[in-house]
Amino acid sequence: MIQIDGSRGEGGGQILRSSLALSLATGQAFRIDGIRAGRKKPGLMRQHLTAVRAAAEVGRAELEGDRIGSTRLRFAPRGCRGGDYAFAVGTAGSATLVLQTVLPALCLASSPSSLVLEGGTHNPWSPPFDFLDRAFLPLVGRMGPRIRARLIRHGFYPAGGGRFELEIEPVERIEPLVLCERGEIRGRRVRALCAGLPAQIGERETARVVDKLGWDPACVSVEEIRDSAGPGNILLVEIECTHLGEVFCGFGQRGVKAEAVADAAVAEIRDWLAAGVPVGPHLADQLMLPIALAGSGRFRTLPLSRHSSTNLDVIGQFVELDARVEEIDHRVVEVELRADAGQGSGS
Amino acid sequence: MNPSRVIGLLGPVLDRADRGRDRWDKWRPTVAVCQHEDLLVERFELLYQRRFRRLAEQVCRDIRSVSPETAVCPHAIELADPWDFEEVYGVLYDFVQAYDFDLEHSDYLVHITTGSHVAQICWFLLCESRHLPARLLQTSPPKRGAKPLSAGDFSVIDLDLSRYDKLMSRFARATEGDICLLKSGIQTRNPVFNELIARIEKVALGCRDPILLMGATGAGKSHLARRIYELKRSHHQLAGAFVEVNCATLRGDALMSTLFGHEKGAFTGATRDRPGLLRAADSGLLFLDEVAELGLDEQAMLLRAIEEKRFLPLGADREAESDFQLICGTNRDLQQEVAQGRFREDLLVRIHLWTFCLPGLAERSEDIEPNLSYELEHFGRTQGVKVVFQRDAARDFLDFATSPRARWSANFRDLNGAVRRMAVLAADGRIDRAIVREEIARLEASWATGASPGDAVAELLGEAEIDLFDRAQLAEVIRVCRASRSLSEAGRELFAVSRQKKKSSNDADRLRKYLARFGLRWEALARADR
Repeated sequence: MIQIDGSRGEGGGQILRSSLALSLATGQAFRIDGIRAGRKKPGLMRQHLTAVRAAAEVGRAELEGDRIGSTRLRFAPRGCRGGDYAFAVGTAGSATLVLQTVLPALCLASSPSSLVLEGGTHNPWSPPFDFLDRAFLPLVGRMGPRIRARLIRHGFYPAGGGRFELEIEPVERIEPLVLCERGEIRGRRVRALCAGLPAQIGERETARVVDKLGWDPACVSVEEIRDSAGPGNILLVEIECTHLGEVFCGFGQRGVKAEAVADAAVAEIRDWLAAGVPVGPHLADQLMLPIALAGSGRFRTLPLSRHSSTNLDVIGQFVELDARVEEIDHRVVEVELRADAGQGSGS
Repeated sequence: MNPSRVIGLLGPVLDRADRGRDRWDKWRPTVAVCQHEDLLVERFELLYQRRFRRLAEQVCRDIRSVSPETAVCPHAIELADPWDFEEVYGVLYDFVQAYDFDLEHSDYLVHITTGSHVAQICWFLLCESRHLPARLLQTSPPKRGAKPLSAGDFSVIDLDLSRYDKLMSRFARATEGDICLLKSGIQTRNPVFNELIARIEKVALGCRDPILLMGATGAGKSHLARRIYELKRSHHQLAGAFVEVNCATLRGDALMSTLFGHEKGAFTGATRDRPGLLRAADSGLLFLDEVAELGLDEQAMLLRAIEEKRFLPLGADREAESDFQLICGTNRDLQQEVAQGRFREDLLVRIHLWTFCLPGLAERSEDIEPNLSYELEHFGRTQGVKVVFQRDAARDFLDFATSPRARWSANFRDLNGAVRRMAVLAADGRIDRAIVREEIARLEASWATGASPGDAVAELLGEAEIDLFDRAQLAEVIRVCRASRSLSEAGRELFAVSRQKKKSSNDADRLRKYLARFGLRWEALARADR
C-alpha cells in the first residue's frame, strides 16, 4: 500500500486531493497520515470529507478514518466506474476542488459520465469555474477525453449554492501533451462578475486592469449575476493565445478595495506575460496529473511554487516516472514527465 | 465521534438580517452553526415560533445552501411569551419527550445561542437533568480581525464534569478535604474505616436522609455525628445548630419534654414553656444517641416528626414544626428490639436507610498510632502543655496497644483516658517507659475487672463538674491512695520526685490539701475501698 505523508511540503488539502485522484485513476490503495498537520485545525475538514466521499463513491472504495478532524485515512478503490453523479460541497468548499479528485479517473472510465456539482463555483483560494472551462478542460480535451462543462448557477463564498454540470466521454488512454509555446495573443477579455453588489465595484476593477496593462477598454465587461444564493464578486481575465487559453482572477473581498483586487491579478498577468511561457502557475498545478497519467508530456511555465513541487512528489509515489524540472532562465522552467522503466522516483 | 445532530431555536432577532443589508453580511448564529468547516451537522432540528415562519423558511434555505450535508427539519412551536419560564420549559420538555434520540449513531448538540435567556436556562436544565441527552453548543460571532464573513467560533460544553480533568482533580481535592474533616484530620490507615468514611461523605453530601451510626461505646459515634454536621454546614446544606441528646440519660416526661418541648403547666414542674431539642435543631442536625432507649410513645412522636416535620409538644394544642437532619446512634441490634416489641418497625425503616457500623479500636489497630498522636496533640492544644513520648516509650505503648492483649473495650474513651493520664504524669512533658509500663498495667487491670480506670472519680464525686485534666489526675491519686496503707505512704509515692528537692516536706499534708480541693477525705477513700 502506498504511504503518503500528509504533513510534507505545504501540508494542505492538496496532497490529499492529488492522492485521491491518483489512487482512483491508477487503482492503487493508499494510506495517508498527518493530514493537514500543523494547521490550526488539523485533519479532515468538511470540504475534504466531501472530496473523500465523492472519490469513494466513484471508485467504490473502502474507507477508514473518514471523519471530521481525522488525520489518517485509508483509501482502497475497487474499480472506478462512469455514471451519473451528483456531489454537493458545503460553505467554504469549492465544487471545482471536488471535481479535481474524480475527473482524471472518470476520463479513463469504461463508460461516459455526467456530473452535477454544487457548492462554491467562484470561491477564493480555488480555481473558479471559468478557469476550468476556458483554460484547463480544453487542454484535457486535447489529450483525448471530451468534456463539456456548463455553469448553471454561480456560487460565491460564503452562501455557496452554485451548480455546474459536466459531460465526460472517457478514453482508453490519455495522450501526451507538449506545451512549450503559447503563440500569439489573439484575444483578451476582462470580466467582473457582481452578485448582489454594486456594479461600480466591477467597473473599478476592470478599468484598473486595462489601465495598468494598457489594454483596449473595449475588452471589458461587467456582468450582474442575479441567480446566486448570496453576494459575491470576482474579476476574471481571459487571454486567448494560439496554443491555449489562460485565465487569471482576482477575488473581491470585504474590506479589500476594488483596485487592490485588480492589482493582485495584474501582478500575476505581468509575470506570465514577461516570462513568455504558455502555462501559468495554477494551470501548471492542474496539468501535471493528467500528463503523469498519459505517461509523458512537457510544458513550460514559471518557476514552480511549493504547492506544485509537493504535487509532483505525490505523483511520483503513484506513477513510475521520471520528472525533470529544468530552469530555462530565471523566470522560466520546463517540466518534463517521462515514463520510467521501473527505476525512477517510484522505486 | 458520531455525526452531530443539532437542536436549536430560531432566533427572531439574531437570525434575521438587518434592515437594508444583505443577510450574508451579518453573522446569523443558526446558519453559522452549519458553516463551520470542522463541524459536520447531519441534521438540524429547528424549533421556531409559528409567527416567524417566513424567517424560518429563509434560514432553512440558507442552511441547505451552505451545508448540503445537513438535513434541516423545521418544527413549529407555540410560545406566547418566550420569557415565561414555565411555558418555555413545558414546550421544550414536550419536544424533547416526543423526540426519538438515536444515541448509538448520533451526537446531540443543543444550540443555546439563540432564543431568550429563559430558553437558554431551560435548555441547560433539560441537559443537566439528562432529559435531553445532549451537549451544549455555544456559538459566537467572528472575532475582530477574523476572515471577513467567517462563521465565527463555536464551543461544545459537556455538562458531564467527569470529562474535565482539571475540574475533576479539584473535586478530588475537595472530597479529600471533606473526608479529612470527617476524620478530624487523623490520617487513618484502616481500609475498612477509610472506606466507611468515604461512603459517609458521599451519603452526607448527597442526601438529607436519616443516618444510623452503630458501634460500641466510645467508638466515636457522637464525634462522627458532629463531624458530619460540620461537613454539611461547610457545604451550606445546614444552617441551624448541632443538637445532641443521649436518650439513655432521660426517662418519661423529662425525655418527652426535652425532645419535643412542653407548654407551661403541661405537667408538675412545667413552670415555663420549653421549646425542646427538636425545635432547637430546626434546619440543623439532631443526633439521638442510644436511640433504642426511647420509649414507644417517644418513638411514635419521633416518627411523625421525621415524616411530617411536625409534632405536638406536651400540653400544647398546636403542632410545632421543625425540619432537621437526623442521625441516630445505637449499640443495640434494633432488629432484635423490633422483634421483642421494644422498637417500632416503621421507625426503624425510616432511620436505617443508611446504616454505618463503626469498627471498634481493637479492630483498627493500624489506626492507634495516628489517633495516639492526635490525642497527644489535642491534649497539648487544650492544656497548653506540649507532651511527647520518649522514643522507646512510644514503641512500648504501641506494641501493647496493637497487641491482642489490648482489648480497648471502651474504644476511644480508653485511648483518650490513657493518653490523658500519661500526659498528666509526664515529668517535663516527656512520657517515659515507666509511665507507659504503669499505664499498661492500669489498662489491663481495668479490662480485667470490666471497670474503666476513670470510674473511681465518678463513684466518689457523682456527676460533679470537673475538668478532665483534674479527673485524670485525681483518678491516679485515688488509685495510689487506695493502694497505700496510710496517707503518708501515699504522699511519699505521689511526691517522690519533688520531695527530694526540699529540705523538709509534709507529703501527707500536701495530699490532704489536694484531696480537700475536691471535698475528699482520706478516710472516705479508704472506706470506699475496704
